Amino acid sequence: MEASAIKARLTAPLGERSGRARAADPAFKWLLTGLAALILVLIAFFFFFLAGKAEPAFSKFGVLGFIFDNDWNVSKSIYGALPLLVGTLITSVLALVIGVPVAVATALFVTEMCPARFKSPLTVLIELLAAVPSVVYGLWGIFVLVPFLKEPSQWFADTFDFLPFVGGTVAGPNYFIAGLILAIMILPIVSAISREVMATVPTDHKEAALALGATRWEMIKTAVLPYSRRGITGAAMLGLGRAIGETIAVVLVIGNSPTIGKQIFDQGYSLAAVIANEFGEAANDPLHSSALIAAGLVLFVLTLVVNALARWVVTRAEKKNGKAFTGSTITAQTPIATVVSES
Amino acid sequence: MHRNNLLAIGAAALVSVGFVACGSDDKSSDSGSSTTAGASTPATLNGAGSTFAAPLYSEWGSKLKEQDITVNYQPVGSGAGIAQLAQGTVDFAGSDPSLTPEDVKTLTKGTPVQIPIAFGAITASYNVEGVEAGLKLDGAVLADIFLGTVKKWNDPAIAKLNDGVTLPDTAITVVHRSDSSGTTKGFTQFLAAYSPTWNDGPGVDKDIKWPVGTGAKGNDGVAAAVKQTDGAIGYVEQAYALQNNFTFADVKNKSGAFIAPTLESTTAAGAGIDVPKDLGISVIDSPNPEAYPIASQTFAISYDDLCKAGMSKANAAGYVAFLDYALGEGQNVAKELSYAPLPDDVKTPAQAAVDALTCNGAPAKG
Amino acid sequence: MSTTAILPTISKRRRRSDMIARGTLGFFTAIALVPLGLIIYYLLSKGLGAWSWDFFTTDPTGSFLGTQGGIKSAILGTLEMVALATIIAVPIGIGVAIYLVEFGQTSRFASIVRYFVDVMTGVPSIVFGLFIYTTLVVAGTGGSSFAGWKGSLALALLMLPVITRSGEVVLQLVPQSLREAALALGTPRWVVTMKVVVRTAIPGLVTGSLLAVARAMGETAPLLFTVAVVNGTTFNLNERMNSLPIQIFQDVGQANDQLVERAWGAALTLVVLILILTLVARLISRRSQFS
Repeated sequence: MEASAIKARLTAPLGERSGRARAADPAFKWLLTGLAALILVLIAFFFFFLAGKAEPAFSKFGVLGFIFDNDWNVSKSIYGALPLLVGTLITSVLALVIGVPVAVATALFVTEMCPARFKSPLTVLIELLAAVPSVVYGLWGIFVLVPFLKEPSQWFADTFDFLPFVGGTVAGPNYFIAGLILAIMILPIVSAISREVMATVPTDHKEAALALGATRWEMIKTAVLPYSRRGITGAAMLGLGRAIGETIAVVLVIGNSPTIGKQIFDQGYSLAAVIANEFGEAANDPLHSSALIAAGLVLFVLTLVVNALARWVVTRAEKKNGKAFTGSTITAQTPIATVVSES
Repeated sequence: MHRNNLLAIGAAALVSVGFVACGSDDKSSDSGSSTTAGASTPATLNGAGSTFAAPLYSEWGSKLKEQDITVNYQPVGSGAGIAQLAQGTVDFAGSDPSLTPEDVKTLTKGTPVQIPIAFGAITASYNVEGVEAGLKLDGAVLADIFLGTVKKWNDPAIAKLNDGVTLPDTAITVVHRSDSSGTTKGFTQFLAAYSPTWNDGPGVDKDIKWPVGTGAKGNDGVAAAVKQTDGAIGYVEQAYALQNNFTFADVKNKSGAFIAPTLESTTAAGAGIDVPKDLGISVIDSPNPEAYPIASQTFAISYDDLCKAGMSKANAAGYVAFLDYALGEGQNVAKELSYAPLPDDVKTPAQAAVDALTCNGAPAKG
Repeated sequence: MSTTAILPTISKRRRRSDMIARGTLGFFTAIALVPLGLIIYYLLSKGLGAWSWDFFTTDPTGSFLGTQGGIKSAILGTLEMVALATIIAVPIGIGVAIYLVEFGQTSRFASIVRYFVDVMTGVPSIVFGLFIYTTLVVAGTGGSSFAGWKGSLALALLMLPVITRSGEVVLQLVPQSLREAALALGTPRWVVTMKVVVRTAIPGLVTGSLLAVARAMGETAPLLFTVAVVNGTTFNLNERMNSLPIQIFQDVGQANDQLVERAWGAALTLVVLILILTLVARLISRRSQFS
């Protein structure tokens, strides 16, 4: 373009710009607003539709009755979801108890102790765990973990049977194996978020501790952990939310027994697993399918509550620390886990 | 740099979209009329249900391919099969127990027609180190095992029936079905006949509340679980047990003899039974002294007017051809899988029912 | 006087607890890597054995006796359904992300949308499958009950919040100065958004989308009650379709050794596909870091 033409264009009053191009602006904005509204409509529809379908079960057993009655008996058409809820909670809590310390340990190791050249490969390795789909975890669980751990678990059950919930016979699939696999599955996400949290610890705090003569571990104990505590709690809760909703890996290794087991090595059931197993036959039985949808709704609400709590905890931690973390940057270093979280 | 990356990804995406868009391998092509007896027009039948009968359907299906009939059978359990038939998502259901009045109420696309196709044996298969095949068990002991009151293999109740057999001190791991299963109904029917505790407790149904044990999906799932666990016992249809070289029990029948599940004992279970008008037979706990007590029948279930229920004319003709094959040459194939063929007093009314199937009023047979 | 003489020496006890603690951290990190090693090991040792030309080019036969066939229909089905899901989810997801960043910084409506997108990320995938089943499969929409496109819809619902969330983050990273410069030149708003902001953010957007695709490939639960199981290959998305995760899920609980081997082979195939996508995603994002 000629210099004079450019100059003319640049100095022309803005109002002379092509009206046609301008007109597209509001249309563009409304298109995008429409898409955003679509999401809201979708979720609302989602929720109310499911609630409507679940209504027969809730009205027959009462909302509290459905959730807290300990009797899931398909042939007698009695649907009390307590064994499922308890199974979901047991396996998820086991997952937290096993997974969170390991995840936090790896996060600490990578941020505080690891030589720089190993940081990236180590991070990538942990994240690879997130790339394994749920069904492959189930496959691996059945054919590798269950036989592998049968004898050690039996030994543990026999030696430590004075502990509550430990003892009995180890058959095959059970709560413990399900909890263990869930722990492995939530490891990447809890580790990734913990790592990001720890990365925001101000270096002056750490250096001050070291300057005062603290050992590395003391520095971690006094400078890093207290600062990151809230963020780590948030990470753990996000992991919990994921563990609660996990279906396929659990259905393959929990034993599918609609009773509340007394030991961690007993068979059990979970909300998600019962839906996966029984949906085919329930298609025709209105009460049964309503009960399964009600179970799905309970699951939905449970994950909602846990995730909301997690987000609240994390946001408060961000405010306190003055820095935003969790997913604030997507670079090659950003863990896959924060973006890709399977359930 | 970015542009090249984008081009590469765009090309890959286009290729996969192209895959989707241009392939139109429409299998549902059917011609309007067929003159030869159902054989020449290609037909595709979608079925679902009993895993008990799944080996049969799959072998028959591969033989019927020569007649241009494709059978897609999903082994999802008898309960889910009937559910899918009621929903209209399949053409026929495979179910071991005969239709209950509740089932009939849900099948609203016409009058349901159940055709018995074979008998099979439900084995009590176990995987116990050191215990050979042919362990003697009866209904009461089996019920106690599945109730969880008999917990170890060397329990006196088992030892009493098995003089001279060394039983290990291994714990019994019960394996049952996690899905709605005709095999479960047959097995629990047998247990309830010999154990009042079972009858009053878990009861008889396709999907019960099991007091103990691990749940697995399908006959194949139970087989897999038994195979992988030392000390396990599960109820598995014989074809699956044979395929995996399982050891299974000799079960005491109504006359007091301990019978092993074989082609002969299964056939004996089907001899001389009552054949009601709707063909809803049952061969569990047969009084015949040579019968295996936990034998079960299995049905192919659809409607009387196939086209009104949703099948195309060609598929209806294909379904009739399929049933003709099942009741004819298929019976020999069944024997190879250790399913017992139907006796004549069952086969004749069954064939009559098949001949009576219609398509929009006219006989469905091509 | 040297400083070291003033500073107290670290007591043996403190030194010991430091070493124990650091050793424990290292040990736990090693433990975290053990499952990964085991999974890779078993996938390779049991899965590679199943791989063969026939494995990838024949359909499962579904027969009880005899050969079991390969996984051709499963691979094709997964590719088709995920492709459709991507076509649905990516434009909508990125559109919503653009809305949230460009027009929704201060509005209440946008923060509600943002909150609900976050809610969607936490929904278990089986609930999405349930939703599509009760609304579309039972009603027989489109003249079919189970259908590939319904599975794609369930997958798209899954991918949407992931794409939006990552897209929002990436778009926010585009420097405000770029926008302001373009606007100052009198460019219409929509041109600024599409041709300046989005174009700059494309590598990040592609990365986020590819990661969402990788996740959708591995999902089983949404497909359980939307596409059913079928053995033959079909290109008609209005019919039932096979898919890798469903095929694996079916083969897992089987006693037949051939089927178990096929399950491992299919699992290896699936993991390899996912890894390729993830690798490509990382390469793109690494090549174009602008932070």
